Amino acid sequence: MFEIVSNWVAAFLTLCIFSFLYKDNPFYRFAEYLFVGVTAGYTIPLTWEMAFIPYVYRPLFLQHKFILLIPAFIGILYIFTFNRKLNWLSRYPIAFGMGMVGMGVPLSMHASVLVQMRGAMIPIESINSLLVFIGTITILLYFYFSKAHTGTYGKVVKIGIWYMMIGFGASFGYTVMARISLLIGRIQFLVSDVLHIIK
Amino acid sequence: MNIFERLQMLDRRWIFLVVAIAIIVPLIIPFNSKTYTTEPTEKLYRLIDSFAPGQDEKPIEKDRALLLVFTHDASTMSELFPMEVAILRHCFARKIKVFTLTFLPSAAPIMDYAINTVKEEFPEVKSGEHYVNFGYKIGALMLPIILGMGEDISEAVDIDAEGRKISSLPIMKNIKNYNEMNLIMDFSGSSAGGAWIVYARSKFGANVGAGVTAVMAADQYPYLQTGQLTGMLAGLKGAAEYEKLVDVFATNQDPAKREFSRELLKDTKYDDAITNPNIKTKFKQARIGMNAQSVAHIMIIVFILIGNIGYFITKYKQKQQG
Repeated sequence: MFEIVSNWVAAFLTLCIFSFLYKDNPFYRFAEYLFVGVTAGYTIPLTWEMAFIPYVYRPLFLQHKFILLIPAFIGILYIFTFNRKLNWLSRYPIAFGMGMVGMGVPLSMHASVLVQMRGAMIPIESINSLLVFIGTITILLYFYFSKAHTGTYGKVVKIGIWYMMIGFGASFGYTVMARISLLIGRIQFLVSDVLHIIK
Repeated sequence: MNIFERLQMLDRRWIFLVVAIAIIVPLIIPFNSKTYTTEPTEKLYRLIDSFAPGQDEKPIEKDRALLLVFTHDASTMSELFPMEVAILRHCFARKIKVFTLTFLPSAAPIMDYAINTVKEEFPEVKSGEHYVNFGYKIGALMLPIILGMGEDISEAVDIDAEGRKISSLPIMKNIKNYNEMNLIMDFSGSSAGGAWIVYARSKFGANVGAGVTAVMAADQYPYLQTGQLTGMLAGLKGAAEYEKLVDVFATNQDPAKREFSRELLKDTKYDDAITNPNIKTKFKQARIGMNAQSVAHIMIIVFILIGNIGYFITKYKQKQQG
């Protein structure tokens, strides 16, 4: 019974969202606001249960690990972001967060820059590696703005533009596929779980 | 006003209606279509399959495991959920040790749903022995957990979704860190999976695979080319490919045919999955969806062609008049 009711509620909300395709209307806005509210409502108690209780309340009040008062106090400083006079205090926990990000910089450089550069420096043994080589060089030249894109240099740079256009086209094709997939998912739900047309 | 001029002024809502019909009809009237598998999917399948215990080996003794990380909410379920179901089905059918984990609160119920969807068909599969759901861990712990698992998984994760100590579970026999839990598969509709490449791959040499929405696929190809991603499932198409591989090999009735082979993949008798009543709908969701996808793509191509022809004819006529 619960499944039937929940499926019909989900179907109604799906149709409310789809109604925007016709034009903006109160049903669409109702479903949109409801989604935002439900997401926040779901996240808050889950965070309380999965973060505050096991990592603050239990060790602090039951196991008496008072050292945790220091990070808990620094974390509380986030609240001052809402106070105009004292919002500078919220920068301390942000600074700690930035420290964590900083730790990842060398590894990110390795994964996103160095290894990618190495990948572009392979011997030209196949058509694919030749295409990668031409694409990398011409696109890098396109982003070199200290020389005017004219004459022979302009023609080389144009190859880079073509490469980028093909890249954007592939990206756009994937985007169309993704959006259609989302629609398929919802229609599969409507015809299968709600209307039971597909078994 | 001729037909092309009329088409130029067509209300976009008619196009929405035609696309909706193009999707609904193939879903209601199923038909078989061939699913071609691509190298990134095959590589992933073969690596996961290599974690399966040998014929004389107890699954619990196996020193290889796989971690599935759910980094998405319900909005991208239609693309990512069939991938998760297909990989879990592969693991349960071949008794591969599998762990699940999420850092997103909204992904926790999706993770349970995926496990339960597959587990229904494998009553012999037991939590703690064949798989463990690590559950939802807060986002702030993402980095300590990723790095901690490189040393000791039991210490980094501590307890599972059912509140059990990880170290006390039978599945952890011969599994300590990324040397054993050698593949991390991240499902996301964003670049969130990059954290596993940056920390688990760069620092500990773990294999990383990606299950991404089609929108994100183009961004992931550079990592695939450099081998930082072992394999990738791209959108619904990737899910459909993996579903097929599981059907052809992992769940093959003949145990001798469960190893990956290109000859078996070419066998046309495995192309009737959509109308085959022996394969449950939940295990061919992506392939059914790909039928609708193909029809919708043809419709979109036709619209683009008509639109462009109309545009050029109108332009030509204006030039002649003017």
